[in-house]
Amino acid sequence: MDTELDEMTLARAKRGDIHACEQIYRKFQRPAFTVAVRICKCRELARDVTQEAFITAFKRIRQYRGDAPFWGWLRRVVVNHAISALRKLPKHDAVEMEDYMASSKGDVERINHGMDLEQALVQLGDEDRMVVWLHDVEGYKHREIAHLVGKTESYSKTRLNRARAKLRKLISDDDEAALAGTINA
Amino acid sequence: MTANEQWQQNSTDPLGLRELESIEPDFDGWDEIEAALDAHHQNRRNWRRAGGALAIAASLVLVVSITLLRQQDVAPVDIPVTGSATLAENSTSVTDEDNVKALIGLSQTMEEQLMKLRQSTGSMPADTAIYVAEIEDLIAQVDVELSVTPDSVDLWGQRVNLMLDLAQVYQQQWEIDYGRMAAL
Repeated sequence: MDTELDEMTLARAKRGDIHACEQIYRKFQRPAFTVAVRICKCRELARDVTQEAFITAFKRIRQYRGDAPFWGWLRRVVVNHAISALRKLPKHDAVEMEDYMASSKGDVERINHGMDLEQALVQLGDEDRMVVWLHDVEGYKHREIAHLVGKTESYSKTRLNRARAKLRKLISDDDEAALAGTINA
Repeated sequence: MTANEQWQQNSTDPLGLRELESIEPDFDGWDEIEAALDAHHQNRRNWRRAGGALAIAASLVLVVSITLLRQQDVAPVDIPVTGSATLAENSTSVTDEDNVKALIGLSQTMEEQLMKLRQSTGSMPADTAIYVAEIEDLIAQVDVELSVTPDSVDLWGQRVNLMLDLAQVYQQQWEIDYGRMAAL
């Protein structure tokens, strides 16, 4: 993914040029939405998070000093919004959403027995999924994750180990189910 | 990829989550963002105008106050009862009238600015709301006194100063709201 942003577009966006903002939006909408979906799990919520994150980013774009990659800065805004959105969700809503995601795949039974990595990720709890994604994919340190979720570094490490173990189990269940299916056939 | 890079990737991403494809958004969404940014920029422009008007109002209040103070300084001086004294009294009376006119104009400008500020400010903490109510009560008291002595420079000056205080409270509240939003 090309995450570079040219100086000219950035300078124009800082001056409030709406066309430059649109260019930036078109360039980073997909990666931002991907991060939002991975953290929030629900596409609807991720859509709202993405929109709000871009609005915040454009309002604060003058604060971006350019000493780190632009995508890193923008991603942080998206992650903050996603975590904030998850925190606002009542617990029962989170459960309903998990059910919705499961049923949207069409085959709850299949999800119970095995799944690929994508589906396994969806099965994780909110914090497990957030920690494993931020650490393994986005490259966040435990210290940073701990700061984001308001917990300790050891909490982040424990969550990461638990999330990885759960993902491994879900994937191996998938393999076993596939193998059993092949033998039965 | 070198062996070292491979090892690093395995240790930080042992399950290969980075290999997952990015997700295509099924919405455009730019129109909403553009509308929100337009509103934001408009709001900022309004605030800049309001800030400018406040600065002008504050300067005018300062000028009027200094003028009044100078008059008070001049007043105790004994003025002989002659034709020229009558002239001096007349000129003082004209100055007072001008001051009242200027303060009434300022008061109207402040009213308009305060109306805009009220609309732009969201909910405020209880203690700020109480402070606002107190200032508004004081303005109401001044208004009652003004209904008896509508030409009092002192009362009009008090009214304008109270409105400036009120505007300052609204502006501070807006800055807090804005700072909170920006910190998200």
